Amino acid sequence: MKLKKPLSAILMTALSTVLLLSGCGGGSNGEDQQTETATASKGKVTIDFWTFWGSETRRPIIENIIDDFNKSQDRITVKHTYYPFGDIWTKELAAVAAGNPPDVIVNTIEATGQRADKNQNTNLSEFLKKEDIKGRFFPELWDTVLYKGEAYALPFTTDTRMMFYNKDHFKEAGLDPDKFPDTWAELEETAKKLDRKNGSVYTRIGYSPQYAGFDWGSIAMNFDKGTNFFDDTGKPVINDQAHLDAMNYVLDNANRIGQKNLDTFKASFGSKQANPFIAGQVSIWPDATTFYTQIRDFGQNLNFGIAPIPEISKDSGHYSVGGGFVLEIPKGAKHPQEAWEFMRYLTDKSAQKYWAEKNFDSVANQEAANDPELLKNEVYKAAVDNMAVTKVFPVPLNAPDFLNLINPQRDAAIMGKMSPKEALDKAQADVENLMKQNTK
Amino acid sequence: MSTRMSSRMVHAHSNYYQSRKLRQRVGMAVLIAVLTALAMIILMPLWWMISTSLKSLNEIMSYPPTWIPESFHWENYRLTWSRGNFTRYTLNTLLLAGVGVITHVLSNTFIAYGFAKIKFPGRQMLFTVMLGTMMIPGFVTLIPTYIMFAKIHWVGTYLPLMVPGLFGSAYQIFLVRQFYMSIPNELIEAGKIDGASHYYIWWKIMIPLAKPAVVVIAIMTFQGAWNDFLGPLIYISKESMFNLQIGLQSFKGQETTQWHYLMAGSLIVLAPVIALFFFFQRYFIEGMNISSGTKG
Repeated sequence: MKLKKPLSAILMTALSTVLLLSGCGGGSNGEDQQTETATASKGKVTIDFWTFWGSETRRPIIENIIDDFNKSQDRITVKHTYYPFGDIWTKELAAVAAGNPPDVIVNTIEATGQRADKNQNTNLSEFLKKEDIKGRFFPELWDTVLYKGEAYALPFTTDTRMMFYNKDHFKEAGLDPDKFPDTWAELEETAKKLDRKNGSVYTRIGYSPQYAGFDWGSIAMNFDKGTNFFDDTGKPVINDQAHLDAMNYVLDNANRIGQKNLDTFKASFGSKQANPFIAGQVSIWPDATTFYTQIRDFGQNLNFGIAPIPEISKDSGHYSVGGGFVLEIPKGAKHPQEAWEFMRYLTDKSAQKYWAEKNFDSVANQEAANDPELLKNEVYKAAVDNMAVTKVFPVPLNAPDFLNLINPQRDAAIMGKMSPKEALDKAQADVENLMKQNTK
Repeated sequence: MSTRMSSRMVHAHSNYYQSRKLRQRVGMAVLIAVLTALAMIILMPLWWMISTSLKSLNEIMSYPPTWIPESFHWENYRLTWSRGNFTRYTLNTLLLAGVGVITHVLSNTFIAYGFAKIKFPGRQMLFTVMLGTMMIPGFVTLIPTYIMFAKIHWVGTYLPLMVPGLFGSAYQIFLVRQFYMSIPNELIEAGKIDGASHYYIWWKIMIPLAKPAVVVIAIMTFQGAWNDFLGPLIYISKESMFNLQIGLQSFKGQETTQWHYLMAGSLIVLAPVIALFFFFQRYFIEGMNISSGTKG
């Protein structure tokens, strides 16, 4: 088939696109919303609660909590619906735009402010005025749910990263298995002693910052004493000295072992299934503390220890990074008052304690997290203690995807295509440029 | 002497013949070896799926990875089926795919008939507009369409997944039209002389003659509905109405993935599509020919 009039084809495409887009503009006033999913029967209100907890371990736990809530009063019934992790937020976005969102949803803590900025969630200050419950939460988490000083979500769970290490490997290398290196320099020295080679081929690697969950970006945050890529005023500081030192630390390790050796070794253990720490191929493994459940379930009596992230010099701070999930009311939800009551229940001590106990998650409620029964588990206690040095970084509003600009430069530096200084200067310039564009 | 010579010639000839045969055989062997190696490379992920689906989670997580499971856990399939509520999801998916195939075949063959065989003012223009819609990426129309369906209270039902099929799909209309173009107009004129209406001609002449194209769009639609994830995800709000693709995702969690169930489930979902391919292989290839324009 030949298009005789290519111009008219283009024109018509453009026209139909414009028509479709303009149809979207009037869509979000949400007056005639769908009420099918939230009907009030006999004065009782049904609220919709969306989570991504559908696995056979998590689902019964959240549904038990919901059951308890439904039985605890006779005005509100919570209906739980599961959607796959990640995709749940695609669905929510469409639902908010159409004005028929759920009443409560679980979402990421880091982007709470960004969602508030885009008018996707509900300001909770009115509820908090009547009942101030912010004292329940770890302060670092509470700060993350604020947008222009007002709360738009309640923290539910959190996590923190720590160093897991193989005590048997430590003993075998003549190291004290109860003492993990305190500083980054000591860590590198320890790592050297833990490497094992067969001829020129590594059979075990003591530690590499390129493996597991605390890479250059996190180390840079630890080196700069918890500031990370943006300073207090929101100005990007990607190429500052501490971040450069962190890059050099990563590169020194890579040069010692050989980047090629690191890559080959990494390729041999793949990325998702068998874990090299559990398999005894890597001796030191920084990860979220929930990694413990994998060791517990698959680590057949692995003799491991857990320690805070190192620091650059004595008492500079064992800074770690964390994240977590929050509960929030999507914009346009029909029963905010009832949603609030349910969220209050979910963040209260008993529900939070139950969740922590069954899932081994770190929870946002300080009192629940510090429950003496829970603290009997060594790893759990270490994780709660680590909250004092754990930082959660909100997504910057005028550069939400800044990592996409930093990561290529990070990789260029690691691959040796650019000097660390050049790479970080380039990343700094790129992020500055992005922010300039977004603030116009 | 002459006999000796001729025997030598025969010998040389048979030598030549043998070496040619040998060369052919070696060539064939090399070709088969290369093709086998390539096929193995392509089948490796599939084997990995099968093997993972039969392992225990402990074996999946252990190092070094094993190609053949140490012990065969056939019960993974049974557990996947019951834990994932797959009976329900399969029925739902079959319903969606079935309705999809019927509506797409009816509407697209009908619309294509108009574009291919009926002359009316603005036909070319309309056809161009229709083709133009193929250039709009699905993500652009996602939110507006969703809002529209929300306004008419169709979200939470199967209607947004079923009804649009009645309004045709640009690519399939194009495909069937190309096929119709190769059917001589004389047939239609003969029908008209005998007093047949357009509906009759479409149903009794065009569809039977365009069978390959009809099968191709049926298969395309079935595959599309079978593998659809985004549509059901955003329009369905009850778990009892989920389809297989959403059901599969429940084995993937926030921090751990139940690989054995995920792989067993993926194979269960994959099986009908593979079966379909073997049964209708000829049409798949024919479909590629139609769409690349060699027929039209």
